[in-house]
Amino acid sequence: MNKRWIVGMSLLCVALLSCGCPPKRGDSDGADVLNPDVLDEEVMDPRWEIDDANRIHDVAFDSVGFRYDNYQIEMDEAAKIEAVADFMKDEGGSRVVTEGHCDERGSREYNLALGEHRAQAVRAYLISLGVEGERIQTRSYGEEHPRSSEHNESAWRENRRVEFSLYRQ
Amino acid sequence: MRVLLSIVSVCLVWVATTVAQDLSIIKTGATKTMLDVSSLKQGGGKAEEFVNVIQNDLTRSGWFKVVKDRGATIRLHGEVGTSGETLTISLELLNTATGRPYFSRKQSERLGDLRRVAHALSDDIVKAVRGKRGMASTRIALIGSLAGKKNLYVCDSDGRGITRLTKDDVACLSPAWDPSGDNLYYTSFHKGFPDVYRIDMKNLRRSAVSSHPGVNAGPSLSRDGKMIALTLSRDGNPELYTMSVGSGRLTRLTRTRFAAEASPSWSPDGKQIVYVSDVTGSPHLYIIGRKGGQGRRLTRKGSQNVAPDWGTTGKIVFSSRRDGAYHLVMYNPETRKELQLTRDAADHEEPSWAPDGRHIVYVRTKSYRMELYVLDTLGDPEIRLSPLKGDWYSPAWSP
Repeated sequence: MNKRWIVGMSLLCVALLSCGCPPKRGDSDGADVLNPDVLDEEVMDPRWEIDDANRIHDVAFDSVGFRYDNYQIEMDEAAKIEAVADFMKDEGGSRVVTEGHCDERGSREYNLALGEHRAQAVRAYLISLGVEGERIQTRSYGEEHPRSSEHNESAWRENRRVEFSLYRQ
Repeated sequence: MRVLLSIVSVCLVWVATTVAQDLSIIKTGATKTMLDVSSLKQGGGKAEEFVNVIQNDLTRSGWFKVVKDRGATIRLHGEVGTSGETLTISLELLNTATGRPYFSRKQSERLGDLRRVAHALSDDIVKAVRGKRGMASTRIALIGSLAGKKNLYVCDSDGRGITRLTKDDVACLSPAWDPSGDNLYYTSFHKGFPDVYRIDMKNLRRSAVSSHPGVNAGPSLSRDGKMIALTLSRDGNPELYTMSVGSGRLTRLTRTRFAAEASPSWSPDGKQIVYVSDVTGSPHLYIIGRKGGQGRRLTRKGSQNVAPDWGTTGKIVFSSRRDGAYHLVMYNPETRKELQLTRDAADHEEPSWAPDGRHIVYVRTKSYRMELYVLDTLGDPEIRLSPLKGDWYSPAWSP
């Protein structure tokens, strides 16, 4: 099969599963309503004990970038996640923590939730690529651990990210 | 007539324009009672500090103007002295118009309790004369970041007596009191993941409350102390839940696969919760029933609306991004009217109501420096709270 086709279909799957645009909703008086969805849930697997002695240092993966106030995976960021999926499929005993981060703008509490949403979007994509869910934990740091401490557009772009921490069992 | 003359009427009238439905809201300042302390004898030193604390508390309460004028309506007279490690108080609070005392006190206290005793007396004066709940004896929980080390702290409502509670030096956020003030809940990373903990303020023991896979955040205690509202992502993305304090039983309130929920705060009657959701693509405020259902969007103004705190008076204060900055807005869910409280060029975030229902503590950020300020919703000038160097944020006023 054509690789490009697989990438496209995988991204489409994830988009349908968890990363689609929130549909615009409204009623006659213009009020927004939440429409609870009843799709099957990707329930998180139990946490596993993280042992820093087992941290994989010999391979480094690029972190995934995001747009402001957004958790959706951009087309040109997907290859970074695919590289992690390829590695994990080769290294059967490996596990990963997807770590979500936000820029400093906005509320700390909301950013903690948004960072988690980003980490889970990456988790969902890894699962769609064939990595078992129990090998993937998520962790949001919100705006607490910026990579750049500057206060400008380029620093903010650098800080909106999901990082990969890989471990051997 | 004399009574009328000795009451200062501070009428701050200002019009908030461009409110929802273009209604104008008129804000009226509170009247202040003149209180005379000039006939209170003090033995100098610590006794003078005692009187200063009371004057400061009464001024901060917003209900009094402290004067040295025997013509005032209310007079605090008597004697405050110290001997060794003992503070002795013998005083009377007198209504000079009627000639009747509100109360009188004879107390001997440990000198080390000076500020606590003074705060309690100040609150008694506010209650006796104005019939209002004071805030002098309350505390504020807050996060401090000193040289990049983040910890949970608590201080008195006047910013004094700041005490570090944790020594983890790791990210922590969202402190929240239970209604008794005996327990402080917050989110901490000290075990690696964002989990919710409870600190028993009597013995300072910390215990884990929620540590599900993913995020555990934003605890808010219902007014009866029986339920915690929080954000969990255990079911696949950040959603709003309630948890029974007694049994730990969880109820999921929201089902928004394409959105994250955060920052819950309970209504005074415990029937509803206000929270943040980005279901439209950016974070805004919604109200949902305590058992779930449909969230109802609160306001259509502002490009973002975050960090709500539902006060005991029924009003919700939150931070709204308008004209390029975060401003504090007060919203009445019954009338659906709002009032923008700040307009100066700075970011105003993470508001928390004082238990007096009048004051709000919040984070003011200018030139990337964060400081805590206390704002008066009745119009008195705001007061800077944080006395120390470093960044201070996420204040939570105790009950």
